[in-house]
Amino acid sequence: MSPPRAFPVALVAARELRQSLRGRWFLLAAGSFLALSLALSALGLAGSERSGLAGFDRTTASLLNLALLFVPLLTLSVGGLSVAGELEDGALGQLLSQPITRAELVLGKYAGVLAAVSAAVLAGFGAAGAIVGLATGGGSAATFLALVGLTLLLSAATVALGVLLSVWLRSRARVVGAAFAAWLGLVYLSDLGAVGLIVARHLRPVQVFALALLNPVQQARVLGTLALSHRLDLLGPVGLYGRDALGTAGLVAALVGALLALAVGCVGGAVSIFRKAVVP
Amino acid sequence: MTGIRARDLTVQIGDRTILDGVSLEVAGGEAVGLVGANGSGKSTLLRCLVGLVPYSGELSVGGRDVAADPVGAKSLLGYLPQKPAFGDARAEEALRWVARLRGVPVARAREVLEEVGLAAHAGERAATFSGGMQQRLSLAVALLSGAPVMLLDEPTASLDLEGQRTFAEIASALRRSGRTMLISSHRPGEISRLTDRVVHLDAGRVVEPPAENVVLLAQAGGMR
Repeated sequence: MSPPRAFPVALVAARELRQSLRGRWFLLAAGSFLALSLALSALGLAGSERSGLAGFDRTTASLLNLALLFVPLLTLSVGGLSVAGELEDGALGQLLSQPITRAELVLGKYAGVLAAVSAAVLAGFGAAGAIVGLATGGGSAATFLALVGLTLLLSAATVALGVLLSVWLRSRARVVGAAFAAWLGLVYLSDLGAVGLIVARHLRPVQVFALALLNPVQQARVLGTLALSHRLDLLGPVGLYGRDALGTAGLVAALVGALLALAVGCVGGAVSIFRKAVVP
Repeated sequence: MTGIRARDLTVQIGDRTILDGVSLEVAGGEAVGLVGANGSGKSTLLRCLVGLVPYSGELSVGGRDVAADPVGAKSLLGYLPQKPAFGDARAEEALRWVARLRGVPVARAREVLEEVGLAAHAGERAATFSGGMQQRLSLAVALLSGAPVMLLDEPTASLDLEGQRTFAEIASALRRSGRTMLISSHRPGEISRLTDRVVHLDAGRVVEPPAENVVLLAQAGGMR
């Protein structure tokens, strides 16, 4: 029987969180979130009669686009460097020589990076929300909180994808390149690819919907739009089909489930690859 | 007493065979030296024991199978790698982390830092340490839990004379305390002073010692 150990996953996660918070990227990310949130909120007033900061609704709409663009870039990079960096340095070997399993190490790394990213998101968005709320007192704080939750959910999926890339590619240079390519694909190219496939293969709506379920950014986009507005035209073809086929609650459940499934699948894949890897 | 047992241990990486059917038995309390040229598989054998390299064959520590019960096997091991690395952790912080994981009182971290002569550098980042200081810190990690089996991979490769003296004292104390030790080294004096017997590896196989090695080890033993 193995000896009792003190929560190895939590210990690895705490170590990863501490390392992340020491890194410059955390302050940069949290500061960027805050600055961009406030800037977007202020810009939301353009063309309106009021002066000062926009309310929660306008801020939330702007932040959704910011989150869909910025969060995957951050999380894919940071998740990607989490294992590859220490693999290259040799520090991972030192950790793994201790009484800990490879699965515990990967899970701890994932949890630690996700905690650090969540802290950055909460710090940036939270400060913006507090300032806007105090300045205007209007709008729906619930929608704003839904966006924060959605951003954390998107982070859970894309950090997992980053960790999978990290374990698979094993070097900083390769991972950074792959993370950027994945970001480009998820944020910009997947729509073009989907359009191309639809035209070339005459995909049926259900197939287009299934395709969209593979892209966490697309899932978050539809979820965010649902939280923000009841206007059907804003949902796009995927959202419209999903809402028609599943109803609003069913669509939300399907999209949240797809994001969680992606996170679990990527972490599971990372564990599976790492189990057989030679660690320098 | 906790021993080590390897049976038909084979490591294949790509099309290269690093270890080729190595069988080895180290009795509890015995100190065995691993000798061989660069690339002969000494480090790989030690790295198999701490679960860093997948292998085929049988490998156990204290009767615990390394593949089936890695946590159980590793809890019996203290490991000093050839090239230590600690990420961006500070020296004492790295030790405290290991202490928490192994259920050792965290105050022990300061004690082992003093043992290896790094107490004055406890709050410094290990990444800024010289190679010798990193090796001392790694030795502190290996000593921390009082594990019954010590795996030392080129333990004095980066140490200056003072560091080698400190290491020799610590290693002698470990032997006196009845620890099982498996040490890889290029220094004949070190091997003959610290071990009961020597195992020679060549191209991933256990071989009879080459004549020149026997002479070198005998000379080093005579200088004790």
